[in-house]
Amino acid sequence: MLFQIGMGLLALIVVGLLWAMSTYNRLVQLQNQVKNSWSQIDVQLQRRYDLIPNLIESVKGYMNFERSTLEAVIQARNQAASAREKVAENGGPTGEGSIKQLAQAETVLKGAMTNFFALAENYPQLRASENMQQLQEELTSTENKIAFARQAYNDQTMVYNTSQQQFPANFIATLFGHHPAELFAVADEASKRPVKVQF
Amino acid sequence: MAMNFWEAQQRARKRTSIYLFLFVVLTLAVSIFVEIAMRTFAEGSYDPPFPLLGSLFALVTFFVAGFQYMQFCAFGGSYVAESVGAVRVDENTNHPELRKLLNIVQEIAVASALPMPAVYVLQTPQINAFAAGLSQNDAAVTVTTGCMSLLNRDELQGVVAHEFGHIYNKDMKISMRLAAMVMGFFFILYFAMRMLQFSSYTNERPREERNNKGGNPLLIGALIMAVAGAFTWLFGSLLKAAVSREREYLADACAVQFTRDPSGIANALRKIAREQNHNEMPAEGMSISHMYFDDRGAFSSLFATHPPIDKRIAALEGRKYIPDEWNIPKP
Repeated sequence: MLFQIGMGLLALIVVGLLWAMSTYNRLVQLQNQVKNSWSQIDVQLQRRYDLIPNLIESVKGYMNFERSTLEAVIQARNQAASAREKVAENGGPTGEGSIKQLAQAETVLKGAMTNFFALAENYPQLRASENMQQLQEELTSTENKIAFARQAYNDQTMVYNTSQQQFPANFIATLFGHHPAELFAVADEASKRPVKVQF
Repeated sequence: MAMNFWEAQQRARKRTSIYLFLFVVLTLAVSIFVEIAMRTFAEGSYDPPFPLLGSLFALVTFFVAGFQYMQFCAFGGSYVAESVGAVRVDENTNHPELRKLLNIVQEIAVASALPMPAVYVLQTPQINAFAAGLSQNDAAVTVTTGCMSLLNRDELQGVVAHEFGHIYNKDMKISMRLAAMVMGFFFILYFAMRMLQFSSYTNERPREERNNKGGNPLLIGALIMAVAGAFTWLFGSLLKAAVSREREYLADACAVQFTRDPSGIANALRKIAREQNHNEMPAEGMSISHMYFDDRGAFSSLFATHPPIDKRIAALEGRKYIPDEWNIPKP
């Protein structure tokens, strides 16, 4: 009798350990997916921060007197770039998050870019320039990639966060220091869509 | 109302598994049927201790299908693209149109979290595209020059996203396996026909002797196999086409998931519907017609590899499809 009870307990413990193992592994896998999709955003953000100085350099000759708009773009770009670095320093999206700051800086940058493109419409020579058209395609594509990467990141973050909060996986999650990753949310509805790049 | 792409994907996946299940049921049921038929018609001369002919049917089918599938596997996505005459796009191209195409493919690769496939362009004025390659790491996406000249950026993005949907869902693998199975059935039919031919040459025995109880087991077996092969070949082809159509809906739904924009792909489909010369895709591409973005001109809708365009647009826009003939013009 004692033997049977002992075996039963052993079986229970083994099942429990197996469950804990698979839950642990699942959480690690999800966390890595979130990190990976964040690095996708990161690459594209970096690309955009590299493209913007190019853009300003190319339009300077045409729109010298729109100095304040151009400066606003440069400033917003620099702020967003440093916010991005801060996220990297703090251990990415699953570390002590500063994604909110980056999202704010991104919103400001988007506003500045939208103003810039609205003004640029007044310069027909600018629109006709071949160099400009190439830059336009590159920027459009980068904007799309950022939007898509954010979509993928947010989807994956939601799955990761949900599986941490679900009962009884939440015990494993707290035990091994998982906490919800931040969504990369952009402030207002209008700037959720990629900036319309048009000269 | 836009389409609910999660729900649409779920529906398409469920229907695919039903069709695949039917495929297995078809094979097993016919194997059993073959055995029963043989035991009934060749009562006297056929009585082995285990179901010989039934297992023969199943084994030969699966063996031929496996062999065929291995042959399919030998060719990667790039091989298929090059075999129809498509040209690979150089990754460092400066041509603005090709640059745009590469950018779009990169965008969807980001959206779908898939590796960047090889990109090919096929020189033909029709709007079409296809994805090839059995694994996600060995995929190739081909678009026609017609796509690049007639579609705007959003529409081209929708078409590319649809092809990524096929890669994402591993549709090439599914369709190759089904094609291999249908080939297996066809082989049985072919083999049995040959057997019949053979036995009609050799069985020059007097008529009354052949018509005695049980008859010639070889002849009866071949006849049953021929009927079974023809039956499974026909129904296998029907099921394969049904799966293919379901995968098109699924790829459309995935395109919406990746781009979050049903209008791009819907407008691309509209432009195809307006094309006059769509049925004239290059002849050397016909063997892979089931892989195209759209494939019209199939002889009847039951065997068609793609659903009707209007039905796909209706699904993308979240409407119920009503055939044109049912629309009674208002007075």
